[in-house]
Amino acid sequence: MVALRRLGAMVLTLVISSFVIFAGMYAAPGDPVAFLIGNPENMTPERIAAVRAEYHLDLPFLHQYWIWATDLLHGDFGSSFVYQQPVTDLLGSRLPVTLSLVAYSGVLFIVIGVLLGVVSALRKGTAVDAFITGITTFATSIPNFVVAVVLISVFAVKLRWFSVSGPGEGFLGRIHHLTLPAVALALGAIAVVSRVTRQTMVEQQSLDHVEAARSYGLQSRKTVLRHVLRNSLGPIVTMCGLILAGMLAGTVVVEGVFGLNGIGSLLVEAINTHDFPVVQAILLYMVVAYMAVTVLVDLIYPLLDARVLARSVS
Amino acid sequence: MSASSLKRFTTGTALAAAGLLVAAGCGDGSSPAQSPVLDQIKLGNSTPAAAGQLDKAIWFMPKEPRSLDLDNDAANSQSDLILANVCDRLLQLQPDLTLKPGLAEKYAWKDATTLVFTIRQGVTFHDGTPLTADDVLWSLDRHRADGAAESDEYVNVTGVSKTGPNEVTVKFKQSDAVFVEAIAGDAGVVLSRKGVESQGKKYGTPAGTDACTGPFQLKEWQSGKSITLTKAPNYWNKPKAAKTDEITFKWGSDDVIVNSLKTGEATGSYLENLSSATQLATGGATTVSQGPDTRVWSMMITDRGGLKDVRLRKALAMSIDRAGVAKAAFSGLGQPWKEPVGSGAWGYEKDKFKAAYDALPGLPAKPEQSDLDAAKKLVQEVGETQPLIIASDGSPVRNVIANAFVDAAQKIGLKATITQIPTAQYDPYDEAVRKSVDVLSDDYFVSKNDPVGFYKNGASTSTVQWLLNDPAYDALVSKGRGALDDAARAGIAIELAKKWSEAMPWIPVVDSPSTVALSSKVTGVPASGCYRYAPWAADLGTKGA
Repeated sequence: MVALRRLGAMVLTLVISSFVIFAGMYAAPGDPVAFLIGNPENMTPERIAAVRAEYHLDLPFLHQYWIWATDLLHGDFGSSFVYQQPVTDLLGSRLPVTLSLVAYSGVLFIVIGVLLGVVSALRKGTAVDAFITGITTFATSIPNFVVAVVLISVFAVKLRWFSVSGPGEGFLGRIHHLTLPAVALALGAIAVVSRVTRQTMVEQQSLDHVEAARSYGLQSRKTVLRHVLRNSLGPIVTMCGLILAGMLAGTVVVEGVFGLNGIGSLLVEAINTHDFPVVQAILLYMVVAYMAVTVLVDLIYPLLDARVLARSVS
Repeated sequence: MSASSLKRFTTGTALAAAGLLVAAGCGDGSSPAQSPVLDQIKLGNSTPAAAGQLDKAIWFMPKEPRSLDLDNDAANSQSDLILANVCDRLLQLQPDLTLKPGLAEKYAWKDATTLVFTIRQGVTFHDGTPLTADDVLWSLDRHRADGAAESDEYVNVTGVSKTGPNEVTVKFKQSDAVFVEAIAGDAGVVLSRKGVESQGKKYGTPAGTDACTGPFQLKEWQSGKSITLTKAPNYWNKPKAAKTDEITFKWGSDDVIVNSLKTGEATGSYLENLSSATQLATGGATTVSQGPDTRVWSMMITDRGGLKDVRLRKALAMSIDRAGVAKAAFSGLGQPWKEPVGSGAWGYEKDKFKAAYDALPGLPAKPEQSDLDAAKKLVQEVGETQPLIIASDGSPVRNVIANAFVDAAQKIGLKATITQIPTAQYDPYDEAVRKSVDVLSDDYFVSKNDPVGFYKNGASTSTVQWLLNDPAYDALVSKGRGALDDAARAGIAIELAKKWSEAMPWIPVVDSPSTVALSSKVTGVPASGCYRYAPWAADLGTKGA
């Protein structure tokens, strides 16, 4: 029942967002005809009318939405105005780049962020804690494109450890090529995750059951793992989920700086050229990706805390 | 597409900021002082000839091509850059911007309205099938079909037919000299009918392959990643066979291109953003060469009305600091320019065109006090004027041009302000945009190396200028197109340039030459603007044998 309700809510979200996205593109200023014709010397009124008819641009708004939505239900995302290729082909070749970048970045910020947070919480008030807090505060304050530019000029141009651009071939090549972009993307998130981890762990440490466990003489390592960290995981997972979902839609700048042809660069180009079918498909992907991540987080909760499951069943 | 093609600078994105930082971050301590950089840049039609065979090249460009079918409107200048090497045309453009026979071993005007091409024998397409006159006929018909990108080149053509086993004849309603030049461009590409038709909708997309005869063949287009060409095994023109075995095209922002060249990850690139060149001219890892092109940045005057009076346009043309714009926006790599089309258009009668250019009055590189005084007088004659609006999109070049415009206007007693329009909407060919501002700046280039190929845009039917509407000019355009004799056509072209300059529907600002950056290990490619249509990559090779 819960699952059904959940599914219904997701479908409703998709329908509403697809409508909002379509309406947004329709209302956006600028005319795709200029890009569809290309050569300004060919822009005769007859040609403009012919192109409008060909791409259904002459139909009323709701009619256009209806055509798009019914095609979508048949699994047809349409063809890009600009590339004249099926949108699914365009996304198919670019999604792996963005997804692998976000996955790599996700691993980095979760592992490093949580680790730094734990160390910081356990060494609360020491120089190590102050150092970690200081470094992560600094890291959050630098925009990721600045980080990206510095990483390129130091590690790719000066030291030549990494490649300047492109996603790389094969698994190892991909890892090698995506290291700098993933670091640039993850740096800000590391700071947030380590802060959240530190804060919740510090709160947990002073709770009664932890004190009790400690007073029983339980090993400090076990206390931390079983009681402090485990009970802190809720907020940490929520935070990581939110950041990850945001990243799926926020790779634009890093992709541009590192010359990666991913979803982000495609979206910016599509917006600039009024390539409606591509923009709509990418924004829908972003909505779906966001929903997928939040569902995943919701599924993880009961594993972390049995009370969540008990509550939702009752 | 053929007649001319518009390129939109997209430097106004969020990445522009990042670009500046890269420039700062990567400077190896060498200050980009003006003169040493300019000294490092070689000028000419071509880079020195290559001595040895290069096995692999990586070539960078600003964007991914949208289609590899040149008859498709979606095809952009990146499509041209690649297919120039894959597809031969009936005539071939040379680095010095003259024409030589290509797949037509000769052509002749049988009479004023009949043009006969003799098709070269013994040429095969990349799939091994022989080139026939039927393929040529089919290709020309495909180019002139309604809606095809090149159809505007065929305005005067009434019919194309096969008139012999290796002979194709084009009939015109009036003689058309510009058509011959267009045949060296995309309007004269010869495709294999079978090769194109067997692919159906796949032709021109990443799933398709090429159907041409050029020195390179398409190996693979990985959508969103790269495009690879390999040397064609049996190229008909043996001495011009490719000196590079495989060339892979990739794309990225200006910073990506500069960094890839600096680190040796890229072999070369034709630069669209000239300020990148200053970082590549020094340092020893790369060389930069410049050659003539037709591209010029102009201020396009809209039909909004603020500059309806030609005296105001002339006064402004006299007062713009072109040298200042060239220095600030093009790092000194562009030249102050008096015509809306660059010296690359002088594909014949060069000296005549040069002399006529030099004689054009009222467009100083740097206005003297006397120019400003004369301009002020014109403004006073006009009397009451409304405040002028020039649009920028925040990109460096447009910002500089907009500021130069406001500066010039204020010096001669006109009120002017700058308004910002987002890059995506910055479109001089959009009527709604034109209604809101008086001036838009844009760069423009034409595909034919003939001033007539540009000045035909001054005709009253033109869709790229909105002020010139003169039956005498229209008559001259049609006379120019029809003048088969070069000397006569040059005379008419010069007349057109004068009339354009008198009406000033665009105010020319800076000429942006063709600019190529190469890894210092390689050489051979043309530096002139011929790279859009001539097989430039075939000449790319190593320096040593």
